[in-house]
Amino acid sequence: MTDMSRLPTPEQASEAASGSVLSLRGISKHFPIRAGALQRVVGHVRAVDGVSFDIRPGETLGLVGESGCGKTTLGRLASGLLSPTSGGSYFNLDTAALSKLNAAYALPEDARAAALAPLEAAHGIATMPKAAQSRFRRNCQMVFQDSFSSLNPRHLVIDIVGRPLRVHKEASGEALTERVVELLEQVGLGRQHLYRYPHQFSGGQRQRISIARALALDPELIILDEPTSALDVSVQAQILNLLNDLQAERNLAYLFVTHDLSVVEHMADRIVTMYLGRVVEAGPTRTLFDAAAHPYTRALIAAKPDLAVDDPQVAKFAALDGSIPDPARPPRGCHFHTRCPVATPNCGWELDDIVRLLERSEDLFESLSDVSRHSDFAGELAFEDEGSAERLAQALRSDATPASMRSAMESLTVDGRTLRVRFQEVGEVQLSDRGPDHIAACVIKDA
Amino acid sequence: MANTNIEGAPIRRRQDSALRVRLRRGGELLGLILSNPTTVFGLILIFGMLGMALFAPWLTQANTPDPYQMPRDWGALRMPPGTPGHPLGTTNTGGDVLYGVIWGSRTSLQLSIVVVGVTVVIGTAIGSIAGMVGGKVDEILMRIVDVFLSIPELIFALAIAAILGPSFTNIILSLCLVFWVKYARIMRAQIILVKQNDYVDAARVIGDSRLNIYFRDILPNAATPLVVQATLDMGAIVLIGATLSFIGLSESGIAEWGVLVSEGQAGIASGRWWASTFPGLMIFLWALAFNLLGDGLRDALDPRTESRR
Ligand SMILES: Nc1ncnc2c1ncn2[C@@H]1O[C@H](COP(=O)(O)OP(=O)(O)O)[C@@H](O)[C@H]1O
Ligand SMILES: [Mg+2]
Repeated sequence: MTDMSRLPTPEQASEAASGSVLSLRGISKHFPIRAGALQRVVGHVRAVDGVSFDIRPGETLGLVGESGCGKTTLGRLASGLLSPTSGGSYFNLDTAALSKLNAAYALPEDARAAALAPLEAAHGIATMPKAAQSRFRRNCQMVFQDSFSSLNPRHLVIDIVGRPLRVHKEASGEALTERVVELLEQVGLGRQHLYRYPHQFSGGQRQRISIARALALDPELIILDEPTSALDVSVQAQILNLLNDLQAERNLAYLFVTHDLSVVEHMADRIVTMYLGRVVEAGPTRTLFDAAAHPYTRALIAAKPDLAVDDPQVAKFAALDGSIPDPARPPRGCHFHTRCPVATPNCGWELDDIVRLLERSEDLFESLSDVSRHSDFAGELAFEDEGSAERLAQALRSDATPASMRSAMESLTVDGRTLRVRFQEVGEVQLSDRGPDHIAACVIKDA
Repeated sequence: MANTNIEGAPIRRRQDSALRVRLRRGGELLGLILSNPTTVFGLILIFGMLGMALFAPWLTQANTPDPYQMPRDWGALRMPPGTPGHPLGTTNTGGDVLYGVIWGSRTSLQLSIVVVGVTVVIGTAIGSIAGMVGGKVDEILMRIVDVFLSIPELIFALAIAAILGPSFTNIILSLCLVFWVKYARIMRAQIILVKQNDYVDAARVIGDSRLNIYFRDILPNAATPLVVQATLDMGAIVLIGATLSFIGLSESGIAEWGVLVSEGQAGIASGRWWASTFPGLMIFLWALAFNLLGDGLRDALDPRTESRR
C-alpha cells in the first residue's frame, strides 16, 4: 500500500532548503513541588522557562548545559512526550510560515493570539489536525540516554525495531522482517540479531537498536538525549560516526542533547546553551567555540577535558565553582551571576545571594533568625546576636565578597541585631544579537 | 542457524525462530524454577493434591445425590483408622474421613481458584486504572483501598460471612470482597514503577496507543509480584476459608477440611484424634505447598536473577 502522507508535497520539497522542522516559541515546563501531608503545591521547579529556537531541516542542533539545566525536559517537550505549561511548538514550517511565526511573536502579547491562530491550526503540535499530528508522530523520533531502560526487556529485537512499522501499518509478515533487517544493517547490526533479547547486547549495540527503531519511520527529526553519555569513549565515537553517516544519507535533522561540549563540537552545525531552564546563548558551532559571548558557554568550553588548562584565559573559566542554584527559585537578573567569573554589578545581585553566602558559613547561618524581604533586592536579616550581624556586614564589605556584588549594594547598615541591605534593581537579561545567527543573554556586550 | 541464506529456503525457519527463542527462554525459566529442590517438593505436593481432586470419583464411591456432602455410615460411628471400609476411620456421625480428605481437596481447589481468580482480575483492573490514569481517579480508588486495608483480612471476611449467613458459597463471596485490595495495591505500585521506564516513552514516541502500551509494555513487566502473591494466596485462602468453616460459618456436613477439623475436635480429648488430624494435615500441606512454590517463583523471577536468563 502506498502512503500518500509520506510523499513530499511541492511545498515540503521547497522547504528542504530552509524553513524549520520544529520551532519552539517561549516554551516552558514548570513542575509543581508538593510538600506536607496534604501534598499542597508549595512552588514550581522551572525546568524549562521560555525557550525559543528552530531546528532546521537536515541540521544538527546541539543542546548543551550542565545536568539539571532542563535539557531532558526540553527534549521531551520537543518530542511531544510532555505538554508545555506555556508556549508552543510548531511542526514543519516553510520559509513563509516561519516568518509569519516570527512576526506574530514580535507583536505585543495581546495582539499575538489573532496573528498566531492560523499557524496554530496548521502547525501547532497540539492544535493541528489529526492527520498532521500523525505525520508529526512519524517524523519526530527519539533516542534515550539509558539504553537499558529504553528497550523493553521482554521484546525481541525484531519486535522492538519492527514496532513502529506495525503501529503505522507500513509492513507486516515477511516484508516487516526484511525491513527490520535493512534497518539493522544500516546501524551496523544484522539478520543474526533479529531474535535476541536486549540484555544479550552491549550498551553500544543497544543504542544501535534504539537508533534503528528511531529510523524505522524515516523521520525528519531525531531527538537524541545524551545518546552516548553512558558509553565508553571508543564506543561513543562509533555511535557518533554512525549518526553522522545516517545524516549524510538521509535528510535528517538532529536535536543533540549533551552535557559534554566536546561531543557536539564536530557534530553540531549550531549550538544552544541552556542554563537553569533558559537559553543563554545560541549560534553556529564555530562561532561559539571561537568567540562565545556568554561566560557560561565559555565555562562549558573550558571544562572540555582535551583543553590546555595552563592558558590563564581558559583556567579562569575552567574553575567553575559552586553548585547550580535551586531551579525553583532561580537567581534574579542573569541566572548565572552567582557563579560567573566575570560578573558585573549589573548582573542581578540580590538578597538571596547573601543567604547563599551565609549557607557556606555554618555559625553565621545558624544564628540567622529571620529574613524579611521588601523585594528580591532589599530586605532585612535578623540575627540572634549583634556580633553576627556585624561580622556579616564586615564580610560583605571585605574581599570575601565578590567586588561586583559589593558594588551592587546601594546601602548596607547594621542596626543592633538586624542587617539592612539594598541592591540595585536589575531586570531580566534579554537575548540580544551578537553577530550573524548568534544571540546571547549577557550584560557584557563586547565580551 | 537461521541465517543460512539460500534464497527463499530459510524463510519458514526464520518465522519459526521467534517462537523457538521464546520457547527456549521459557524452558530456561522453567529450569531455573526446577533447580530449587524445595520448589520441586512444593510442586510434587500440589500435583499430588490436584490428582486427588481430579480422580476423586474414581478413588471413592461418590455420594449421591450431592458428592460434596459427607456420606454417612450409621453403623460405623467413631471408628478408628484401619477399620475395614474406612481406612482413615469415621467421624462422630459416621462420615468416612478418607472421603472427606479426598473430596475436601476439590472443595479447597474450588475455593482457592475462584477467590484468587476473581480477586486477581478485580485487583489488576482497579490497580491498573489507578496507576495508569492517576490524578483524582487514583486518589479516590486508593482511599477506598485504604479503608479496606485498615481492617485485617480475616476479621473483615468473618464479618461479611457472618452477615451473609453460614454457607460455603458465602465464604467464597466474602473472601472475594476482601482479597482484591492487596492485588490492587501491588498492581498500582508496580505500574507506577514500570511506567517510568524509557521504553514506555519510546512506545509513545512511535505513536502506539495507550491500550497497546499497557498490554505490551506495562502489564507484562508489572505482573511478576502479582503472580508470586497469587501463588502464595492459593495456600493462604484455603487456610482462611478453613478457619471460617471451623468457627461455623459453613454449613455442617459438607466435605470440607475446615468443617471436618471443627467437627472432629470434640473427640480429641477422648482419644479420637483421627477425625480432625487428617483433614488438618491436608490444610497444612496445601498451604505449605503453595508457599514453597510461591517462594520459588519469587526467587526465580527476581529481576536481580533475571539477567541469568
Ligand atoms: N517529572 C519531574 N518532576 C519534577 N521535577 C522534575 C521532573 N523532571 C525534571 N525535573 C527537574 O527539572 C530540572 C531539569 O531536569 P532535566 O530536564 O532532567 O535536566 P537535564 O536533562 O539537563 O539534566 C531538574 O531540577 C529536575 O529535578
Ligand atoms: Mg538529562
